Amino acid sequence: MENSLIPALDPAPLPGPPWLFHVLWVVTFLFHLLFVNTVLGGSLLAAFAGLARTGRREIRTLFVEVNAWAISFAITFAIAPLLFMQVLLGRFFYTATILVAWAWLGMLGLLTVAYYLNYVAKFRLRAGKSAGGVLIVEAACFVVIAGIQVTVNLLHMQPARWERVADQAWAALSDPTFVPRFLHFLLAAVAMAGALLAWVAVRRARKGGATEALSGMARFGIRAALVTTLLQLVDGFWLLLALPEDVLKAFMRGGPATMVPLTVGILAGLLLLVVLAQIADPLASPAKVRRVAELIVGAVVFMVVTRHQLRGIYLASARANEQVTVSTQWGPLALFLVVFVVCVAITAYALVKAAKDRPQPGEDAA
Amino acid sequence: MDYPIWNLVFGGGVLIGIVAITHVLVSHFAIGGGFAIAFIETLAVRRRDPALRGLAKRSSLMLILVSTVFGAISGVGIWVTIGLVQPAATSALIHNYVWGWAAEWGFFILEVATALAYYATWDKVRPRTHLLIIWLYVFAAYMSLVVIQGIISFMLTPGRWLETHSFWDGIFNPSYLPGLALRTGICLFLAGAYLTLAALRETDRTARVGMVRLLAVFQIVGVLLAYGGYRWWEHVLPESVKAIFLGSKALLPALASTRYFVLWALTVYLLLSLFALAAPRLHRWPTAVAALLAAFAFFGGYERLREGSRKPFVIRDFMFSNGILVSEIADLNQRGVLSKAVWAARENPGPEGKGVAVFRAQCASCHTLDGYLSIRKLVAPVDPDMLNGILATMREEGNEYVSGRYTDKGHVATDKLDYPLMPPLVGTDDEVEALASYLLTLRPSNVAEANHGK
Repeated sequence: MENSLIPALDPAPLPGPPWLFHVLWVVTFLFHLLFVNTVLGGSLLAAFAGLARTGRREIRTLFVEVNAWAISFAITFAIAPLLFMQVLLGRFFYTATILVAWAWLGMLGLLTVAYYLNYVAKFRLRAGKSAGGVLIVEAACFVVIAGIQVTVNLLHMQPARWERVADQAWAALSDPTFVPRFLHFLLAAVAMAGALLAWVAVRRARKGGATEALSGMARFGIRAALVTTLLQLVDGFWLLLALPEDVLKAFMRGGPATMVPLTVGILAGLLLLVVLAQIADPLASPAKVRRVAELIVGAVVFMVVTRHQLRGIYLASARANEQVTVSTQWGPLALFLVVFVVCVAITAYALVKAAKDRPQPGEDAA
Repeated sequence: MDYPIWNLVFGGGVLIGIVAITHVLVSHFAIGGGFAIAFIETLAVRRRDPALRGLAKRSSLMLILVSTVFGAISGVGIWVTIGLVQPAATSALIHNYVWGWAAEWGFFILEVATALAYYATWDKVRPRTHLLIIWLYVFAAYMSLVVIQGIISFMLTPGRWLETHSFWDGIFNPSYLPGLALRTGICLFLAGAYLTLAALRETDRTARVGMVRLLAVFQIVGVLLAYGGYRWWEHVLPESVKAIFLGSKALLPALASTRYFVLWALTVYLLLSLFALAAPRLHRWPTAVAALLAAFAFFGGYERLREGSRKPFVIRDFMFSNGILVSEIADLNQRGVLSKAVWAARENPGPEGKGVAVFRAQCASCHTLDGYLSIRKLVAPVDPDMLNGILATMREEGNEYVSGRYTDKGHVATDKLDYPLMPPLVGTDDEVEALASYLLTLRPSNVAEANHGK
């Protein structure tokens, strides 16, 4: 490995204990990923809503409305993990992004286009017009963004590949785990969006009675989740076996710390498959649809932990001689925690108020 | 410097400038616009004025599209670009201010959620709830400025942080409050300028006149606050920074011109705002657009001034624009700059590549070959003796930074140096010679000779 190309550790001490940054990174990344899965999977399902027998327009409308919020939150919740990751691994991350600089920068353009296309689709659908083409381009943008993220993620944790990529940027895609990892990402996103779709349809049906459109939405969502989860099991094992031998061995030898999250994640996936296979009529099985959503979120939680552990193993040798000093900034840390708790509490209060407050008859609305 | 160097034809600084100026225009509108919309809707509710309500409603879509969409993406865009162009500086800032940024992120969550909820709940919730949501948005948006201003101003005037390395000393640095006052004024006048365009779409003439007048007040207050903040900001700058663009012999004439441009833009803007207040009926699209352009000109010019006056540093008195720390000059003179700039050395191997590698490591963060601050153009009129003299002086200036002979009130008095806007040249004799040889090959006569030889 060409360790000499790894930039030196930042001379400033860490402003907090490393474990705290790891915890904050993983937790905030989990929320980011849930929003990302909604956006990516939702835009794909909206683009392919034509495959649904009924409820196509409702499927598209739901996802463009959801994505108007979810894209904002996916971006907002990207900030925190990006911050905490840079504190711990900035020198690896910056190097990887510079090596594929145009793609990394281009991601911003794609994100802007996709976000505005979502609003275009939203207003077109509200006006009773079609939005199929717009949604396909939007979904394509998000798929490419996912590919760029996977590329940078794989590159930052493998300094041994940097020289090759510096000579030929396309070599960034030649990692044997790229394809299965990318697929892992896409399939999980579609499965989650499918579950969300079915769950929303079930809730709406409970409030307003079952309709053909809601039934079509729910069936399409469950079918999408079933197919992608089935493929995910195959792809998951492909990804595991495609890992570099030393990484795989170290991971397997990690004991309960690494094996428990992985096993629970796989079991959640298997259980998910069983539950999905049992759902013949989603609107008639609301409990099972809810269980599907819970299992998917559960699987994502454990896979995020596994993903983080794998990164640690990948980077173990490159970070072996790291002499990290810590000088905790207690005051600023307390400031962050207070601001975060207060802001999240106020946000929750404001959203609940916005959802529940309705004028009485004869009273003015805003 | 120990990172790979992204070779941008037009220069990394230009890219950062484009993304940053775009973002600040949007983000300051997001703050001021939110305040103006909250104020207008509050008035509309109290006065039961449907026209004012309509203005707030129309403007809220713009707020969403500009603030939560473009503002959020361009904000991430700044992270992306500074990480690509100035990774060492980004890392230094992150290590010092991660909790500040994290706190700002907390405010940002509230800001985004309330912005989206505000737009989504028109005609759905009671007016009191709607107002509560937008005022929460205003609070969150302004608080994010309160935090971020500390980090932005720190880079120009780190103040006592240089000795204490304390988070609070860095945040509450000498130009923090002046900059905050200035930016608060900018938020107000940008809101007034943008919303005037929305107000002009009002078909009821009487209502339109009232709106234009109200928004003119926003702009006048904003301009006056911005002007006061700007003068205060100039006042607190260290003498060596002032010398760059102030006084009869400004070190950087282009920046001195920018200052005049900035002040004139503000004057024009004030006159247009007074015109709107005095003759709201006559204030239509041409004057409103001119006012908006004057607002942009002032703000863009100020940002250019603030960024430019940091030269030759990225964090004043701590890190140069090429990523070299003031504290590592002596070490790099001994070990050689290429011992650290491993990527530049790798891309240009061997003795023949050494000069290019030194150029890439030390000069390429500002100078491109043929584009922005073209090094080829700069060396064209220089003969070998002159070039060696320049490089020797630039190298000696490194010792001035180390010995602190020119320091004044804790700041390196860069204005006393021969090359006050450039980082000192560091490295071994061998590396400096290699750099000189490489630069000489870029002169037109050399190119002509080389072509002739072919």
